[in-house]
Amino acid sequence: MKLGGLALLLAVSPLAQGQWTFDEPRDVASGKAFFHLDASGRQAVAVAGERVAIVWEDDRNGVPTCHVASQKPADTGFSQLSFGRGECFAPGITALDPDRFGLIWEDESGVQAAILAQGRLNGQVTLAPAGGQGALAWHPVHGLVAAWSEPENRWRRVWLTRLVETQGRLEPADKQPADAAPLKDDQMFPSLAANAHGFALAWEDRRLGHTVIHVSRSRDGRSWSAPARVSQNPTGKALGTDLGRGTGAMRPALTGLAEQGFALAWLDKRDFLSGYDVYAAIDPGSGFGQNLKVQDSFGDAIAQWHPAIAGNGTGKLVVAWDDDRDGSSDIWLSWPEGKVFSEDHGPSSAAGPETQTDPALTMDASGSLHLVWIDRQENGHTRLRYIRASPSQ
Amino acid sequence: MGGVYHVILAFALILASLGPSLADPPEGYPFVDFNTGLTQARHENKPIFLYFGRYGCAWCDHVNRKTFADPGLKQLYSTNYVLVYVDAEGGKRLRLASGERLTEGELGARLGAFATPLFVFMSPEGKVLAKIPGFKTVADFREYDRYVSGRHYETRSLMEFLGSQK
Repeated sequence: MKLGGLALLLAVSPLAQGQWTFDEPRDVASGKAFFHLDASGRQAVAVAGERVAIVWEDDRNGVPTCHVASQKPADTGFSQLSFGRGECFAPGITALDPDRFGLIWEDESGVQAAILAQGRLNGQVTLAPAGGQGALAWHPVHGLVAAWSEPENRWRRVWLTRLVETQGRLEPADKQPADAAPLKDDQMFPSLAANAHGFALAWEDRRLGHTVIHVSRSRDGRSWSAPARVSQNPTGKALGTDLGRGTGAMRPALTGLAEQGFALAWLDKRDFLSGYDVYAAIDPGSGFGQNLKVQDSFGDAIAQWHPAIAGNGTGKLVVAWDDDRDGSSDIWLSWPEGKVFSEDHGPSSAAGPETQTDPALTMDASGSLHLVWIDRQENGHTRLRYIRASPSQ
Repeated sequence: MGGVYHVILAFALILASLGPSLADPPEGYPFVDFNTGLTQARHENKPIFLYFGRYGCAWCDHVNRKTFADPGLKQLYSTNYVLVYVDAEGGKRLRLASGERLTEGELGARLGAFATPLFVFMSPEGKVLAKIPGFKTVADFREYDRYVSGRHYETRSLMEFLGSQK
């Protein structure tokens, strides 16, 4: 479908090629250490006003430690702050009002959240004594909402709460499970997003005996809809066998899209012979539609990893991931063109013989794209890189 | 020292059994989680047989029922290897031999996993010796054991070894 559809789209769409003009990349941090951009929902970069902020974990000091770096366009470098108690993992971030961000992470004290403002963390709150995979979303009227996955007997359950700022502290309000039904299996890796009309939550759910993506929506962060399945299973079982419970879908990443829409990307194993593919579904405000394969046919025979997604209020949308179709792992981007996704493109600075992985991205109100990724070299030296891209005219 | 190790190992096994389920390893085999297995392999100086499976995976189910149900294979692999099961979509955090901490799912990206089940033979130090994707028979697994137990990986690849056996 992709090539035929693309030919048609090239004829009618001026945005089919060269949609983005990339600035020079900048190094956010580097060292001979293990760097991870692994926020649940790949929510590791955010823009609040003019300030961009990036969260990650690395062990440059010998212990997995969370960090946040931020800068405004006029700044020459990033200002950095380390946080977390003991080992810290999977920090996530969302933009609040200008120059303020919400942070969520996992450390030895449990699942934590705080506000980052003026280079300091404020109002820290423990959301759960154990667990992780935290995600945040913020709405200008309804405020901040957090989700995370928490152990419950032999499984894990996704929880939600509003976080209300009271006298400099964040206070949980309306804490509730993502699904009130008794737990039947694991719920993991929540992702949250907001648009002008409310919130959406997506998570991995194993109640059917295999991993599928469920979503729930809320107008105010207080009351949430019953879970609805998004990832489809076209065959119901592996081809030619009478075995297995179903194909897998994992690592959902959500974004707000236009005034009342959401878009979701995830890894999908429905083609079980060539690794996970990147799939997406778009909810224009009336529910998620059909599943769409994102990567083009050049990536079909190999595995894709780390899908991230970014949209904005004007309806622009981009999906990013990494795969090694060219012999080493590179960062790839695709965006909707009509009813399909575009041919795959990547910034040249996020491609090449070294290993470029783990993209995270966000889109600001003007439509500029902010992309971060990990660049791992053969000698073990690793860079966390950032690049800004403007829409081409 | 050995007594302390066995106490620690027993404690780790109990903790592993209380933790999140190990998805779908074959029944009756002494599979342990990655961290426990790496510790055990180093202590016992045994290679690791890593079963990288996906929750609900049809071919994992198939190989469990058709191949791993064989009592002789169970005896062979339980004796010669530390058996490790990793959930390809899992979120449990591992510590690789390099010291890196990452999740089970992320291990799939590092191993270049494109299909499940994926079987990985590793040295006691965690070095990958051979990777084998997909359904395999009892005879296949006996051949792989000859390759690893005979340390043929020191001189040739698994494909070269298998080719020389015909």
